This record gives sequence, C-alpha cells and structure tokens, in this order.
Amino acid sequence: MTKEECAQKTDEELVALTLKNQDFFSCLVERYEPKLRRYIQRISAATQEDAEDLLQEIFLKVYRNLRDFDQNLKFSSWIYRIAHNQVVSAWRKTKSRPPVIKFGADEDFLKFIATDEDLAGDTERKFSDEEVRKMLENLDHKYKEVLVLKFLEEKSYEEISDILQKPLGTVATLINRAKKQFAKIMEEQGIKF
Amino acid sequence: MEKLSNKILQKIKEEKIEPKPRWQFLLKNYAFWAAFGVSVIIGGLAFCVVLGILVDNDWDIYRLAAENPGKKIFLSLPFLWILALVLFLAAAFYYCKRTKCGYRYEVYSIIGLSILGSVILGSIFHFSFGIGREMEALVAEKVPYYQKFYSPCNDRILWLQPEKGLLAGEIIKISPPNSFDLKDFNGSFWVVKKDEDTFVLENEPLFEKEEVRIIGKQEEEKVFRAKEIRPWKKKCPALEKGK
Repeated sequence: MTKEECAQKTDEELVALTLKNQDFFSCLVERYEPKLRRYIQRISAATQEDAEDLLQEIFLKVYRNLRDFDQNLKFSSWIYRIAHNQVVSAWRKTKSRPPVIKFGADEDFLKFIATDEDLAGDTERKFSDEEVRKMLENLDHKYKEVLVLKFLEEKSYEEISDILQKPLGTVATLINRAKKQFAKIMEEQGIKF
Repeated sequence: MEKLSNKILQKIKEEKIEPKPRWQFLLKNYAFWAAFGVSVIIGGLAFCVVLGILVDNDWDIYRLAAENPGKKIFLSLPFLWILALVLFLAAAFYYCKRTKCGYRYEVYSIIGLSILGSVILGSIFHFSFGIGREMEALVAEKVPYYQKFYSPCNDRILWLQPEKGLLAGEIIKISPPNSFDLKDFNGSFWVVKKDEDTFVLENEPLFEKEEVRIIGKQEEEKVFRAKEIRPWKKKCPALEKGK
C-alpha cells in the first residue's frame, strides 16, 4: 500500500484491514511513529535508542491487542494509552527514578504559558530555558503528565481520560491543580509575566 | 537506517505473531463484571446479617441490664459483619475499576452504587426471606470462634438477671390460665406468672419446650411476674452440643 492510499484510510479502517492482512499495519505504524516517539520523549527520560525499543514494544503490543480496540474510543487515545502504560511499565522494570519530563524551552509549551486563561499575562514575555527548566523541575510528575497531554499533545479532556484511564472529573482537577502549582512556582521563583 | 514499520512487520512475520482472539478480551471483561456483581451480592448478604442483628438487638433492655448501657450497645454492634461488608464493597470497587470502562466512573459513584446495591439486596434478603438470621446461625455452627459474638450464645448471661427484671429459659409446663414453670438457662426452676396485660411477642399461645426471654419483676424467691414475653433467639450451637 502506498503512502497516499494509507493517508486516505481512517485509523478504524486500517485496523479492520490489518486484521485481514498484516501488511496494512505498516500504515498505522508510519502514521503514529513520529507522534508516539515525541510523546515518549516528553514523558520519559528515554534516549533515542530507548525510545526506538519502546516504540517497537508498543507497536507489537498494539498488534497483539488489536481485537481489544473499542470502537467507542478514538484509536489515537487507545494507542496513546498503550504507549503511556508501556513507558510506566519500563520505568518500573528498571526501577529508575520517575521519568523526567523534558519540556525544555519547547515553543509550544511557552505558547501555553503565555495564552492560558489562568496564567494570562503579557504574551510578549519571553522565558529563558533556565526559567522554564526551573519551573518544571518543581512541578509534580502527575501534573507534568497531564500538561503534556493537554498542551503539547493537544488532547481533549475526554481523550486524556481515556489515555490515563482516569475519570473526567479527576482529569479536570489534575489540570486545574497543575496550573495552580505552576503559577505558585512562578511566583516563588519571582518570575513574572 | 531501516524503517521502523519494516522492522515491526518483519518481526511479526518471523515470530508468527497474531492478534489475540476477541473472546479472550471479552471473557476478561465479563469476569471482572461478574466478580463485581458477586462482591455486591456478598456485600448484600453481609448487610442482611447486619440488619438482622440490629433488628433483633435487645436495644430496650440494655438500660435495665447493663451498668453502662452505651458501652453495651456499642459492643453489641455487629463489627465483624460490618467489616465483611466494607471488604466486599472494596472488592466491588476494585473489580469495577478493572473492567474495560470502569476507569470512567468516579470513586464515589462506584462506592455509592455498590452500597446501594448491597443495601437493596440485603434488605430484600432480610425482609423477604429472613436469610440473615439463618446465615448467622450457620456461621455460628460451622465456626465455633464466632459463637463469642453470637447473641443467642453470649446474651444468656444478660437475660439471667431476675433481680433486674430479666429472665430467660425453657418452658417446662404450662399451668393455665396464667402461669407456667420455667427452667432458666442456669438450670434453676421458676414459676412465671402472667396476666391479661402481659404482652406476648409472637408465638401466642406459649407452648412447652419453647425457649423464651421475659421482662418483668421478681416477686418472690423463684417466682417471677412477666410484663412481656418474647421468644428466645436462635439456638446456641455450643450449648446444644452440651445438652
């Protein structure tokens, strides 16, 4: 199947086709590889090689569990959930410290800081790498994770609920608390918009 | 560098990896729902026993019989069954969360639903079938340790305080119209007098060999005037064996 043909199919159609012919799975892999690679690197301290291994494991798990995909969910939510669980599982296996979320001076993240209603301020304000790093280092891991999904992966509350397998209300609370903690950290560090 | 999609497809083909059959996922999901249902039902049975014990509790006599009625009432509460109810509610919560869509429900809605389910089922079990008393009696019979908490066994002492107006035992002989002979649970013989004002709960007329508990007043040595007569509770398995 060519790239163009793949692009014309929805995720759900590709799932159905893959169950008939495994070659179609490559379309799904190619569609989600860059997104998941970026997501893995955002929520873990994975190196390029680690991310590659994790991606392989994730896609194989997706393939094995393809018949478990619930059509009531978005396929993207389902695959992100598997990726999230796989990262957490790898982190537990190695018994390393909780994954460090690397926002760096991510432009998207800076955009969020500048435009979010709760943190609104002078949108012209520029943040240094060091400032962002300092703020994020002090944010709880559970908050960093929802911030990644909400503001970097641009997922809706419902999608985050399906990915993290938490009720909608809990997701809303986490995001709200994350924003508050973020604002507090900025205040403590004397960073102003 | 080789494309990831090619590597994955190659691995799938080489290792002959196949998607797992759908029935496996369905079975797992149904098993969790079934476990949730069973937990709620068992929680209902535990609630049914709690209800039975609370309904049958001698709330009104503690003020007569105990020096510290508050403490006595507190100790009479069925903590073991309440603990069992809590454990099965926790199990119901755990299994519900493990179902495919369980994560969508808030903690309070799952716990609330489980409590509601157990309370409704427990009430039906108790008021329609009287299962609670039977279940508690069965547990007392099969688990000797439980007899320490079983009121038909440990309430005998409470009801053998004639000086405080409480007496319990087995009717030996009915002497119409207004008295009967009673052998109390300590083996002493009594003449129990009653009159038209004596309130007899259930089982009227009284019959020989019936076990009863009586609220009234000791008039003379081994003569007791009854104000209220209630049937005794279930048999105490330990004492039945000793008979």
